[in-house]
Amino acid sequence: MPEKLVYFIRSAAGNMRQSPLLCTAAIGTVAVSLTIIAFFSILFFNIEQLTIHWGRQVQIKAFLDVVPKTEVLQAWTRKIEAFPEVEKVVYVTQMQAFERFRERLGQNADLLRGLTSQILPASLEIELKEQFRSRSGIQAVVEKLRQNQNLQDLHYGQDWLERFESFVTLLKFSAGILGSFLLFATVFIVSNTIKLTLYARRDELEIMSLVGGTPLFIKTPYIFEGAFQGAFGALVALGSTYLIYQFLLKKSLVTLLFTMGVKDIVFLPLTYQLTFLLTGVFLGAVGSMVSLRKFVRIRY
Amino acid sequence: MIRIYNVVKRYQKDSAALNDIDLRISKGEFVYITGPSGAGKSTLLKLLFCAERPTRGQILINGQNVTRMRLSQIPYLRRKLGVVFQDFKLLNNRTILENVSFPLEIQGKKRYEISKKVYQTLKLVGLEKHLQKHPLELSGGEQQRVAIARALIMDPLILLADEPTGNLDAKVTEDIMDLFKGANARGTTVIMATHNQEVIRRYPRRVIMLRDGRVEKDVTP
Repeated sequence: MPEKLVYFIRSAAGNMRQSPLLCTAAIGTVAVSLTIIAFFSILFFNIEQLTIHWGRQVQIKAFLDVVPKTEVLQAWTRKIEAFPEVEKVVYVTQMQAFERFRERLGQNADLLRGLTSQILPASLEIELKEQFRSRSGIQAVVEKLRQNQNLQDLHYGQDWLERFESFVTLLKFSAGILGSFLLFATVFIVSNTIKLTLYARRDELEIMSLVGGTPLFIKTPYIFEGAFQGAFGALVALGSTYLIYQFLLKKSLVTLLFTMGVKDIVFLPLTYQLTFLLTGVFLGAVGSMVSLRKFVRIRY
Repeated sequence: MIRIYNVVKRYQKDSAALNDIDLRISKGEFVYITGPSGAGKSTLLKLLFCAERPTRGQILINGQNVTRMRLSQIPYLRRKLGVVFQDFKLLNNRTILENVSFPLEIQGKKRYEISKKVYQTLKLVGLEKHLQKHPLELSGGEQQRVAIARALIMDPLILLADEPTGNLDAKVTEDIMDLFKGANARGTTVIMATHNQEVIRRYPRRVIMLRDGRVEKDVTP
């Protein structure tokens, strides 16, 4: 087996060396296709970060008409924190609420002159775990909270939440459609480019079959070649996407998203980069396999 | 070794390339298949190395019925056969070493075994000094010797040659025939399709003459 593996790798490398033009065409095709996908991935990744950022703001505020005793408050907090949906509970005193309000008023803080912190209610701010930051998650917690007679004044931005969820659903849906379309187009283009390279080598494939090569043995070096070309293509795509990110996206997109609370546009994380590399390998290998089916068969 | 029972091969409905062929070729024989163009020589060889399937009839090679063989088994049968073509069918973008070693690579032989065997076989055909050259750097005769080396490297049971001297001059033809005779002397059954009557006259062996897809004559000198 190692002998065969060495042969496959050597043959694949030899094939690529012998047909530099076709090899470059295949690498170029993968690179262009993956660059488009990587470009959109950066956009989606950063918008996804934005939605996560927004999602963190999804919380329930329970306003307290009467400030309870510390022991009662601790008991409530412990009970709420025991809910599986709840990440943490923060008690905001009347004074803290007043201070926050003052900060928010900024230069107009003078308006509060003569008023005391008693004008604002104390509250419990209930932050949910990430997977429960949805309408149904909030609804479940709200129902449990309402069982406590003292926690009836609950605010959780119902309208905003619905709009937010629609936006996230739309985003995921468009990402899915666009991604699938681009991947399908890439497999199609890559397999056609590889088909051209195989067409140029059809005599070679026939000779291999005539001297006793099994279809798998004949195909494997070409599948390796496709995988190598896919990997090179993916690396080129990542490189060019990084340049696009550095010189175009970083400046233009950040201006757009800054108003929505995003301070910095980030490049694709390492896991995404590795996924791209593997996608390149996969595209190249599958593209080769699809084309080889037509060219390598035992004729009888 | 080879038994052909009532084989018919039709490419089109109304005309048969081979018609009712019935032959027995024993182990270690040297047989010429001859006849005019279109007589069915190449078709017969194609049936033997499973490039074509007979329309009717059975072919047994070394006890195996190749007409009933599964497609996945055909490569393994071909490894027991050496095939030489008029147009050499070499991989022009690979070196002589790579061309000749290919049948051994298929079997996953070790590098040193392959190198040793390739050198021995190329020495046998007198091309051991051209290991790193490419086929198109060699003359026609030399290319045919490379093709013969590729066919012989597996020590085949049967050597099938389709007009191997078709494009070669008399001196080179003599060299090629010496290689076939040598292989035959080492126990390989040789079946050679040729219309070169001069070759048949100079190296007399059993002659099967085909005409219009039928065996017209089967003569052993």
